[in-house]
Amino acid sequence: MGLAKFFNINDRNYIDNLSLAGSIGLHMVSSIFVGVAIGYGLDYWLDIYPWCSGIFMLLGIVAGFKNVYDDTRKLVARWRSETEEKIGKKK
Amino acid sequence: MEHPVILSTLFGIPEEYKHVFYTWIAMVILFIVALMARRRLELVPGGLQNFLEVIIGGLEDFTVATIGEKGRKIFPLLCGIFLFILVQNLLGLMPFCDAPTANVNTNAAMALFVFIYYNYVGLRSWGPRYIKHFMGPMPALVPLMLPIELVSHCARPLSLTLRLFGNIRGEEIVLLLFFSMAPLVSTLPSYFLFLLAKCLQAFIFYMLTMIYLQGAMEHAH
Repeated sequence: MGLAKFFNINDRNYIDNLSLAGSIGLHMVSSIFVGVAIGYGLDYWLDIYPWCSGIFMLLGIVAGFKNVYDDTRKLVARWRSETEEKIGKKK
Repeated sequence: MEHPVILSTLFGIPEEYKHVFYTWIAMVILFIVALMARRRLELVPGGLQNFLEVIIGGLEDFTVATIGEKGRKIFPLLCGIFLFILVQNLLGLMPFCDAPTANVNTNAAMALFVFIYYNYVGLRSWGPRYIKHFMGPMPALVPLMLPIELVSHCARPLSLTLRLFGNIRGEEIVLLLFFSMAPLVSTLPSYFLFLLAKCLQAFIFYMLTMIYLQGAMEHAH
């Protein structure tokens, strides 16, 4: 079928990795936003302005890096299994 | 900048609710296509049935190859999300129509549903032990890892929402700008590019939903 071939739906290597790699950047940014939002909400509630915002922003930055680390690990694991599949097919 | 002629104004829908109207249009299209395909099911598929079988069969093979046999149970949801978002995105390329995913509320609804659903799946398959997914690799790090994991889990619906909204909205604005500068000459080539980009965005939403569900169903590392 032309459409499936054109968009490589059956090819695991291509769109799969492309979509994972494309999502890494926004994962990092959005966790920082969520961290700041949680911290600001806690500050508003407890009326201690700078503390929770700062702490949760740091937590958000760490969570963003952790997201990038996890995504990269997933990508590497996927590439490894794909190369093993290819080598297995050649044998 | 607004569309010159648009279907929702003909139906008298207010401007702020038009994404709901186009979401219903997408649902009606999907219902009609599915009923048409169901009426003439054949052993040797042809035409519409063949087309749908290629898309759904390909996605099912892909899901089962990634998650394993457990993936067959959640596949209807994943396929529904993919087809729904694909039709919604492609409505933006139709004349007289507008993409409902170009409004942030539609995407936020879908992303929140995905967030609730994968937590429900995790709770259903692990019970109280689902909390281990939030605790990191070793017990000494739990006070540090618990808030980090909570923040990174809460960031997932936000990133799902913003990615789809930004891409589709940006494409709509670019199409409008191109159309106001040089009608037909510039919009026709960009239609092909945006056709690919909109299919890719629907696939990315499906793919990330699948990865989140997989993470909720498999063992905590």
